[in-house]
Amino acid sequence: METQPESDQESNQTESATSEPEDFEEFEEDDNDDNEDDFEQEEGEEAESMTAEARMRKNRAKMESLIMRLSKEQVPVRVHEVIIKGNTKTKGSLIESEVEAILRDATRFQQLLRAASVANARLQRLGVFDSVSITLDAGPPEVPGTANVVIEVSEAKNLLNGEIGIYTKPEARSWSLEGSLKLKNLFGFGDLWDGSVAYGWGQASEVSTGVSLPKFKVLATPMSARISLLSQDWLNFSSYREQVLGLSLGLLSSGNHDVSCNLSWRTLKDPSQMSSDTVRRQLGHNLFSALKYAFKVDRRDSLMRPTRGHAFIYTTQIGGLFPDIRSLRLIRQEFDLRYAIPLGFYRAALNFGISGGLVFPWGSGYMNTPSYLPERFFIGGNSSPVCSLRGPTSVLGFRARGLGPAEPRRPDNSDGGKPDDSGMDHIGGDLALTAFADLSFDLPLRALREAGIHGHVFACTGSLNKLTENAYKDFSFEKLRDSFRSSAGFGIIVPTKLFRMEVNYCYILKQNEHDQGKSGVKFSFSSPL
Amino acid sequence: MEDGGGERERLTLVARKPCFGLPTACPKSLPVYIYLRFSKIPFSLEFNLIHPDSDQIPFVESGDYVAYNNEKGGVIPNLKEDGIVDLDSEVSGIPEWVSIKAMVESWLADAVMYELWVGCDGKSAQKIYYSDLPWPIGKILYFKQVLVVKQLLGITSDNAERREEEIYSRAALAYGALSSRLGEQSFFFDNRPTSLDAAFLGHVLFVLHALPETSVLRSKLLSHSNLVSYAENLKMEYVDANLSSSSVPQSDPSSSASKRGPSHWSSKPRSKAKREKTEEEKKFRRRAKYFLATQLVAILIFLSLLGGSSDAEVELGDDDDGLNYD
Repeated sequence: METQPESDQESNQTESATSEPEDFEEFEEDDNDDNEDDFEQEEGEEAESMTAEARMRKNRAKMESLIMRLSKEQVPVRVHEVIIKGNTKTKGSLIESEVEAILRDATRFQQLLRAASVANARLQRLGVFDSVSITLDAGPPEVPGTANVVIEVSEAKNLLNGEIGIYTKPEARSWSLEGSLKLKNLFGFGDLWDGSVAYGWGQASEVSTGVSLPKFKVLATPMSARISLLSQDWLNFSSYREQVLGLSLGLLSSGNHDVSCNLSWRTLKDPSQMSSDTVRRQLGHNLFSALKYAFKVDRRDSLMRPTRGHAFIYTTQIGGLFPDIRSLRLIRQEFDLRYAIPLGFYRAALNFGISGGLVFPWGSGYMNTPSYLPERFFIGGNSSPVCSLRGPTSVLGFRARGLGPAEPRRPDNSDGGKPDDSGMDHIGGDLALTAFADLSFDLPLRALREAGIHGHVFACTGSLNKLTENAYKDFSFEKLRDSFRSSAGFGIIVPTKLFRMEVNYCYILKQNEHDQGKSGVKFSFSSPL
Repeated sequence: MEDGGGERERLTLVARKPCFGLPTACPKSLPVYIYLRFSKIPFSLEFNLIHPDSDQIPFVESGDYVAYNNEKGGVIPNLKEDGIVDLDSEVSGIPEWVSIKAMVESWLADAVMYELWVGCDGKSAQKIYYSDLPWPIGKILYFKQVLVVKQLLGITSDNAERREEEIYSRAALAYGALSSRLGEQSFFFDNRPTSLDAAFLGHVLFVLHALPETSVLRSKLLSHSNLVSYAENLKMEYVDANLSSSSVPQSDPSSSASKRGPSHWSSKPRSKAKREKTEEEKKFRRRAKYFLATQLVAILIFLSLLGGSSDAEVELGDDDDGLNYD
């Protein structure tokens, strides 16, 4: 066709046009798109005969007409070849697999530009390149109407990255200091290795190392694997210390679904020798192999201060899939539902939510077997239920693990007993339910409003019951209704970049005999992650 | 608690699993069981199958009261001190009783520990401690325990044979002394059971039933017939008689020892053959190490040569006009 050789030359001239800062939309969206003209030299020879000024005017006229054409008409073009440069270590097939499909699908020039920017974003997301630039080049002259795509990557010079941070872990009721080292692209497959050490004040420490691989060749979805050694100290709450050596594999992580499997060796010990009967019976070694599926939808407008939207998480875990029948067998289900309604004045919003969980053993004799102690539900701690979606874990006003069934410890006959020792072990429950309602609003002072500091009024309730070891036979609706404890209060919330700090006054409305709820001013820290 | 007429709550003994025809097959738990049997106090027996490396087991509990193995010198001293049951009130002042007890609890206890973890092939230990744990955990804990025992007994690769001889000869001395002390009596002192009888009876029953026939320690014990008949008589009277009233399974089909009668103790000591085997094993290990080292060196040489030649290929390749960086 007549227009074909023209479009060839025009696509060449496109290169020189885009190097000028025109207000041309398609090119401006790509910050890293560096369009060079490889064939400018050929053009130059033709125009040598004209004067410089006339040459410029002619080129500009050509460019304007080309731009008009491109913006109004559909210029057909297809990709002839994808050339990859600059990857000394990264496997070329990895880069191709990320971008080839979308580039080849483009049949029009504008589609090709859009595909190029998407490909750019995907390669950046792998996290192993310092910079990525995609150039559209003319195809070989003997094949008209084609373009070559040249992908030039600059691999990260510093393979090793270090990070140190302080994070909050709501279950552990304390801060944890975490340091991690990350290695990028060790084998050229876009692999990301990391090793981290986390230490939580006196309660939990973890050493772990992991690798994550992007979607490539046989891997239909990105996968990750992690080996960790975790040690958690619950001596003050439940008289045991837990050590877990685990291997977890993230099998599928796409959109709302997440499937992972976990194989861990868990050891419970009691160095204090003061544990109650239930805890004493569970001390020892166990192999836990579980498959976990999580479904998550979070449509709220903000994690720190949700004012509209909803969120729903459902997790189910089946343990005991290891071929050895002596491994732990249980089924654990958890769900969280949150809803936020804006009220229209003072940026006020009503948040309410409900969370529930159930754990039950399976296998022969499951009705008489107790559920595994660390896998039970524990309610308590000072983390806000508004932003954390971790199942039924918090009712404000109660100490960590302070709500629920408790058993007396071994009596301490020595003279020096700890003053704040309640003498009870909190042993958790199999059926947990929590619910809350929270009204948040801006404060009248402008300075506070601008800093994001706002106030809230809340009410929460929670219940924790035992069902295993034939306790479900005595279980009734009345018993469930009577087992609900509740608290209410008000406070001020200070959101920062990393976490959400709250200063609350909690008043315990109802608590049972051995619960550890106390009315008063409490600080709470939560992290939405 | 459910028994009428008892001021005290019912006693529970938590011990390791039963096998080889014994109510509990762990050498630390068996003496405690026998002591409670001697005292004729009713108690129930429960088992902990998942904590083989705990020194808290065996323990006795009654309501809120717990007597752990690693406190105050053991469960039996604990029970004596707390006034629950004391069979030694009249003999604990006799120096001979104290020294015989010390000999049983040091020399014979060490001999059993050695034989169970190091001397024999480890099958008995695996059955008693790890048969209810998932396989990977059981294997790792077993090897860890073998190392711990070797450390406790001071055994290294240099002095292994010497220590073995020492342990066996001490055990033989102890058996001889106990045999002549016992004579034809039913108990060691005062013609009634004490904690010394509990400790020694536990030891003898373990050695006779739980250790394999090839065990050296077992063959040394069998040479003292009065000790063997002492054990059998007391077992029939105190251990087997009330088996139905406790929660012990009566038959253990996996153990062949329960079918044997008293006159059929047999032992096949392989002491000499074992020593030769150890030397053969050492030779084999040395040769295996040399072989592996040679292989490794060969691989390294091969790789370095191959790496050199492939470098040369790359240099040639640069002359070509290669745009393809795949």
